[in-house]
Amino acid sequence: MPDTPDLELRGVCKTFPAAGGALDILRGVDLNLRRGEDLAVMGPSGSGKSTLLYIVGGLDRPTAGRVSILGQDPFSLSEAALARFRNSQIGFVFQEHYLLPQCTVLENVLLPRLAAAGADDSAALRAVQLLDRVGLAHRVAHRPAELSGGERQRVAICRALMNEPPVLLADEPTGNLDHASARAIGSLLLELSHEQNTMLIVVTHSSELAARFSHRAELADGRLVERAAGAV
Amino acid sequence: MTHARFLLQTLRFHWRANLAVVLGVATATAVVAGALVVGDSVRGSLRDLTLVRLGRIDHALQSPRFFREDLAGELAARPGFADHFSATAPAIVLPASLERRLPTADAPVVTRAGRVNLYALDDRLWQLLQHGDCAAPVGNQVLLSQRLAAQLECAPGDDVLLIVELPSAIPRDSLLGERDETSRQLPLKVKAVLPESSGAGRLGLQPDQQLPQNAMVSLSTLQAALGIEARRPTRRQPTAGSARVNALFVANRDPAADLDLAAARTDAEHLTAELQQAWRPADFNTRVVADPQRAYVSIESERMILDPLIVAAAERVAAAWGVAASPVSAYLANELFRVTDASSYSMYSIVAGVAPEIFARAAPLPFGRFDFVGEPPAAPLGEGGLAAGGPGEIILNAWLAEDLHASTGDLVGMKFHLVGSHGELPEEQRQFRVVGVVTMNAAAADRGLTPEVPGITDVDSLADWDQPFPMKMTRITNRDEMYWTRYKATPKAFVSLKSAELLWNSHYGQMTSLRVARPPAEHAPAAAGRFASDLARALNPADLGLAFRPVRAQGLAASAGTTDFGGLFIGFSLFLVLSATILIGLLFRLGLERRVGDVGLLLAVGFSFPRVRRLLLAEAWLIVLTGAALGAAAAVGYAWLMIYGLKTWWIGAIGTRFLDLHVQAGSLLVGCLIAIGVGIGAIAYGLRGLGRLPVRGLLLGLSQPPQTPGQQQRRGRRAGRVAQIAALAAVALTVAGMSGRLGSQEAFAGFSWRIISFFVMGIAALVAGLAAFAAWIDSDRAPAVRGRGAGGLLRLGIRNSARHRARSVLTVGLIAAATFLIVAIAAGHRNPAVEEPRRDSGNGGFTLVGESSAPVLADLNTAAGREKLDLVDPHSATVLQPVTQIVSFTVNPGENASCLNIYQTSQPTILGVPREMIARGGFKFADTPGVNPWVTLEQGAEGEPIPVLGDMNTLQYSLHVGLGAVLEIRDEQNQPVKVRVAGMLDGSVFQGVLLMDARRFEQLFPSRVGSRYFLVDVPSARAREVADLLESKLPGFDAEPVAARLADFLAVQNTYLSTFQALGGLGLLLGTIGLATVMLRNVLERRGELALLRAIGFRNSGLAWLVLAENSFLLGCGLAVGSAAALLAMLPQLLSTGADCPWKSVAAILGTVFVVGASAALLAVATAIRTPLLATLRAES
Repeated sequence: MPDTPDLELRGVCKTFPAAGGALDILRGVDLNLRRGEDLAVMGPSGSGKSTLLYIVGGLDRPTAGRVSILGQDPFSLSEAALARFRNSQIGFVFQEHYLLPQCTVLENVLLPRLAAAGADDSAALRAVQLLDRVGLAHRVAHRPAELSGGERQRVAICRALMNEPPVLLADEPTGNLDHASARAIGSLLLELSHEQNTMLIVVTHSSELAARFSHRAELADGRLVERAAGAV
Repeated sequence: MTHARFLLQTLRFHWRANLAVVLGVATATAVVAGALVVGDSVRGSLRDLTLVRLGRIDHALQSPRFFREDLAGELAARPGFADHFSATAPAIVLPASLERRLPTADAPVVTRAGRVNLYALDDRLWQLLQHGDCAAPVGNQVLLSQRLAAQLECAPGDDVLLIVELPSAIPRDSLLGERDETSRQLPLKVKAVLPESSGAGRLGLQPDQQLPQNAMVSLSTLQAALGIEARRPTRRQPTAGSARVNALFVANRDPAADLDLAAARTDAEHLTAELQQAWRPADFNTRVVADPQRAYVSIESERMILDPLIVAAAERVAAAWGVAASPVSAYLANELFRVTDASSYSMYSIVAGVAPEIFARAAPLPFGRFDFVGEPPAAPLGEGGLAAGGPGEIILNAWLAEDLHASTGDLVGMKFHLVGSHGELPEEQRQFRVVGVVTMNAAAADRGLTPEVPGITDVDSLADWDQPFPMKMTRITNRDEMYWTRYKATPKAFVSLKSAELLWNSHYGQMTSLRVARPPAEHAPAAAGRFASDLARALNPADLGLAFRPVRAQGLAASAGTTDFGGLFIGFSLFLVLSATILIGLLFRLGLERRVGDVGLLLAVGFSFPRVRRLLLAEAWLIVLTGAALGAAAAVGYAWLMIYGLKTWWIGAIGTRFLDLHVQAGSLLVGCLIAIGVGIGAIAYGLRGLGRLPVRGLLLGLSQPPQTPGQQQRRGRRAGRVAQIAALAAVALTVAGMSGRLGSQEAFAGFSWRIISFFVMGIAALVAGLAAFAAWIDSDRAPAVRGRGAGGLLRLGIRNSARHRARSVLTVGLIAAATFLIVAIAAGHRNPAVEEPRRDSGNGGFTLVGESSAPVLADLNTAAGREKLDLVDPHSATVLQPVTQIVSFTVNPGENASCLNIYQTSQPTILGVPREMIARGGFKFADTPGVNPWVTLEQGAEGEPIPVLGDMNTLQYSLHVGLGAVLEIRDEQNQPVKVRVAGMLDGSVFQGVLLMDARRFEQLFPSRVGSRYFLVDVPSARAREVADLLESKLPGFDAEPVAARLADFLAVQNTYLSTFQALGGLGLLLGTIGLATVMLRNVLERRGELALLRAIGFRNSGLAWLVLAENSFLLGCGLAVGSAAALLAMLPQLLSTGADCPWKSVAAILGTVFVVGASAALLAVATAIRTPLLATLRAES
C-alpha cells in the first residue's frame, strides 16, 4: 500500500483579475502533510499565504491544480457537501477571532456542532473540556466582549477543534496579540494539534513562532519553498 | 445550544438594528392595513348614513305623475300588506327653490337656494324619519336642513319664500298645457333648522353623502297651494276628488328585513303588484265616463291625451268583454274657413279624428248613428292628399257647413297651432275637401267626443276660457258663442285618425279618448265602474312610472361606493409603502453588512449558505411578524388619522363629516399579510448576492463583490447607455403627449393611455437620472484631493458618495421617487377660475350655468321667448344685450354621478341636448373622433342603443364605462333602455350627467317638459349681472359661474391630489430617514478615516462640511432628478390653461426635506467626532 499523504496539494494555482491584467498569486504549489504533522508557512505580505490556507480550508477555489484531504477532493463536492466537509474535516483559526458577540464563550465553541449534528450535552461536555484545556473553564458563560485578545483567540482555537477535525488551519493567529500571549497561543496550537492528532498549518510572519514548528516553508514567487529539512 | 436559542440570542443582541426594521415593517403594515380600514370605514359610514337618512323607510315610489293620496291607505288595507309591511306614508317630493328677502335701506338683499329637495309630508311620513323631538311642520311652517339654512342665512322665525313647480295635468308642451304659470310661490316661516345629525335633515331617495338642501312643509299646505287638495263635489264637479301626492313611502314590518338587495327587490315588486290591485284609473290620470243615453263608456285622460299604454290596455279589456271600441283624437282648430271666401269662418272649433268606419250605417256602435245632409260619402273618410301637402278630406257638421257656406266638394281651410320645443305655437294651415255634412243630431251632437278639460270645456262662454294661448277674441263671432252655449266642445268637423296623426301627433300619443260600447245587458254607469276596475288591473303601475324601489337596500348596496377607498388610499399611500419597503430592505441590509463577518464565520465552520440564509430569513420572519403585529395596532391609528383628515383637511374629497372608524379584522389581516410579503420580499432582496461572495471576503467585511477598474468602467458604460435610452424614451413620450398623439381612451383597469404614458414617461425620466448618476459614480476619475478649504472638502465629499455605489444610488432613488411624486402631484393642480371661456375647453365657451326648479318653456334667445318670460323691459334688455346664446336643456333628474358623490350610481341625471347645442358644438373631448362629436347624438338607427355623451370622470370613475360602452338606464315608464357612450367630454361642466339628443329624451321622458338646465355664453365681466337678472325674473332659477361649478368638481380632484401629496410627503420623510441612516452608517464605517483627518489637522467643522457635502450632494441629486422627471412628465399639463401649481408649497416641502436630510448628516458627523481621537485611531489600527 503506497504511503499517501493525508493532505496533498499538486500544482495549485490561484489567479485574481486585476486592473493591469490577471494577477498570479499561487503558481503551482505542491504540499504533502500527514496527520500529526505541523507546518509553518511564511512569506511577505501579498505573497498568497492566506490564499493558500483558504484553498486548503475549502473556502476558496484554486484556479488550477488539485487538492486532496484524506483522499477527498473537496472542490468536487456540492456546496452543501463542501460545507459538511469543512465542518467535519477542517478547523480554522483566524487572525481576527470572529467570535459571535451575541453568544457566550461556550456557545461560540459549540457553533460547529450546531452546524452539524447539533449541540447536545455531550457536545457541551467536550466544549467545556476544551475550554478547560485552554484555561478558560471559568469563562464559559462570559461574552467575547468580556475577554482579552489572547482569551478570545483561545476560544477560537477551541471552536476550531470542537469537531475534532483532521486539519487545523491558522491564519496569523498571533498577529494581534502581545508577545506573551502570542507565545502561549503558539504553544497551545502545537500542543492541541499533537493531542488531537491533527495536521496543523499556520500562516505567520513570526519567525519565532515558525521556529517551533517541525516543518517550515516560505511562499515566494507563488511557490512554496522548504526552509529546513523536513517533510516538505 | 439550539437553533432557536441561537436565533433569539442573535435577535436580542442586534436589537437596535432589528428594531429599526421592525419599525419599518410596522410602518408598511400600518399604511396598508390602515388604508384598507379607511375603505371599511368609508363603506361602513356610507351604510350608516343610508340608514340614518332613510329612517324606517324601506321602499319608496316617486312618480312624475300625481296620484290619489288615498291610495296610500288603500294599499295598506290590502290583504297581505301587513304580512311584510307596517306603514305607508304619502308625500309630495319635488325640486324647489327658496328665497329669503332681507329688507334694507337701499334695496332688499336676497339670498337664494336652488336645487332644494322639497318634502311635503304629514305625521305618517314624519314617524318613519329620525327627527329627534322636532314635530312635523303644519300650516305655513317649514323645516330646513342645516345646509339649506346656512345657504339662506336664516334661522327659526325667519320668513322664506318657496318656489315650486305647479303640477300641470296637461303636459305643458301640448296645445292646452299651462305654459304661462309654471310655478307657485308660497310664503313660509322657518320653524326649525334640522341639525346635520338629524335623519330628516339628511333625507334623500338618491344615495349621496353630501348634506342635502332639504325643506319640509305640511302636506296639506302644499296641496292647497298647488290646487291638488281634496275636492268636495260642486255643481261643476259633481264627484269628490282625493288630494294628490307623487310619492309613497313604505316601512317593513321587520326593520332588519330586506337588507339584501335581491330580497328587497322581490318585496318591492310585491308592493307594486299590490298597488296594481289597489289603484284606480284616477291614479293614472284617467277617467272612465259613462254616457247612459248613448250606451257607451269613454276612457279619457286628465292629461288630455291618453297614454298609448292605456289605450292598448283599454282595447284589451274591450276585446275581453267582446264589445266594440274606437278611439278619438280631438284637437282645437283656431280657425276653420272657406277657402274661396275667407270671410266665412268659425273660430276655436274642435275637430275630431275618428275611425272612418263609424260613419258607415252598418257599424253604429259605439258612437251611434251619424245622419248626413244628403247622401253619405260614397267612400270611407280618407286622407286625400294630406301626406303630400295637398288637401285632406273632412266631414263638417251642419252648423259649421252653414257658417262656412260650404257643402260637399268645397275646400275649407284649417288653422291650428303646433307646439314647438320651447313652447312656441307656430300656426299651421291646411286645406280639406268636404266629403260630407252631418246633421246636428244623434252621434254628431255628442259632447262626449271631446274630453273634459277644466277651464275650457266646463265654462259657459268662449270668453271664459282659461286661454291656453293668446286667443283672437275679436274674431269670435256670435255664431261661435251660440254654438258654445248650445253644444259646448262638440266637434264641428271630423277627419280620419290617420289625418289626425299627420296633423297633430305628439310624443305623448294621439288619442284623446277611447270609446267602448256598453255590454247590452248592463247599464252604462255600472259598465263604467267595472271597466275602470278591469282597466286598472290590466295595467302594470311600473309601466306608467309608479314602481316601488327598495331604496334602503339600494342605498346599502350603493354604499359599496363608486370608489374603493381602501384601494384609493393604498394608491395614495403607495409611495409610503414603497418608502417603507425600501427602508426595510436598506435597514436590514445595513444591519447585515455589519454582520457579514458572522456570516463568513458560519460558512467557515461548516454552515452551508442555504442554511445561513434560512437562519437569516428565520430572523427576518420574526422581525417582520413582530413589525406586522405592531403595525396592525398602528393601522387603526393611521386609519383614524386618515378618517380625521377626510373629515377635516380633505373634506373636499367626500363632502361629509359623518365618517366613523369601522375596523374589520379581515382588513387588518390582509394588510398584515401584504406588509409581511413586502417586508420578507425586501429582506430576501437584501440577501441577494450574499451567497456569491467568497467566505474570505465576508470575513473581511465585504458585502458586495469587489470590482476591478475594468468591470467598474464596463458597468458605468452600461449605466450610461441605460440613461441615454431612458432619456430618449422620456423625451419622445413628452413630445407625443404635447402633440396630442396620446389618447385618453382606457388602456386597462380604468387607466387611460395618457395616465399610463405619464407614469412611463416619469419612470423613464427617473431611470435616466438614476442611471446617469450610477454611470457618474463608475466613471468619475476627476482628482478628488485638489484645491483647498471648503471647495477642496466639497470635492472630496462628493467623491465619497461613490464609495458605496448601491447605497448611494438607492438613496438618491428613494429621494428622487418621492420628489417626483410630490412635484408631479403639485403640477397636476388645476384652477378653472383662471381659465378663459373657450369653446374647446371644459367650459365650452360658456360663463354661466343655471338650473331651475320650475321648467322654463320659452326660448331665452328670442324676443318672443323673452317677452313671455318678462325679460323685455329696458333694464332686462340692456343686461341681456351682451348675451350671445343661452342653451337650454331638458332634465330627467337622477343620481348624482359626479365625483362629488362617492356612492355607487347607476341611474344618472340625463340632459336632453337641443338641436342648437349640437349644431354649435364645442367643449373639450377625449378620444372622441370627429370635428363636432355632438352630432353623434343624432346618429344611430331605431332599435340601436341611443348615443349619449358623458364626462370622462363620470364615465370612468362613477359609471365604470368607457367610450363605446353600452349601459342600461330606465325610462319614465321604468323600462330598461340601452344607451351607448358615443363621446367623452374632458374635464367639462357636465360632470355627473349623461347627455342625450333632446328628441330622444322626449321619447324616453315625455313628462319632463321644459328646460331646467342652462348654459349662458356672455362675457365674463357681465356674467354676474345676467345671473342676477335671470334669478330675479325666473322663479326658481339659480345661476353660478361655470368656473365655480368646475372648481367644485376640481376641488375633489385637487383634494385627492393634496391627500396624495401629504402621504407622499410622509413617504419622503421616510426616505429622508433612510438617507440619514445611510449617512450615519457611512460615517460610523469611516470613523477611523475621520479620526485620521483630525489627526492630520482637519478641524471638526471641516469634517462636518465634508460629510454635509456628501449628504447634500446625494440629497440634491435625488431632489433634482425627481423634480426634473416630474416636470418633464407634467409638461403637457403645465403648458395647458388652468394649470395652478402651488410652487411655493412644493418648494417649502422640498426645502424642508433638504434641511432635515442635512441635519441628519450633521447629527451623524457629530456622533462620529464625539469619539476620542486616539481611541478611534487605536480601534481602527
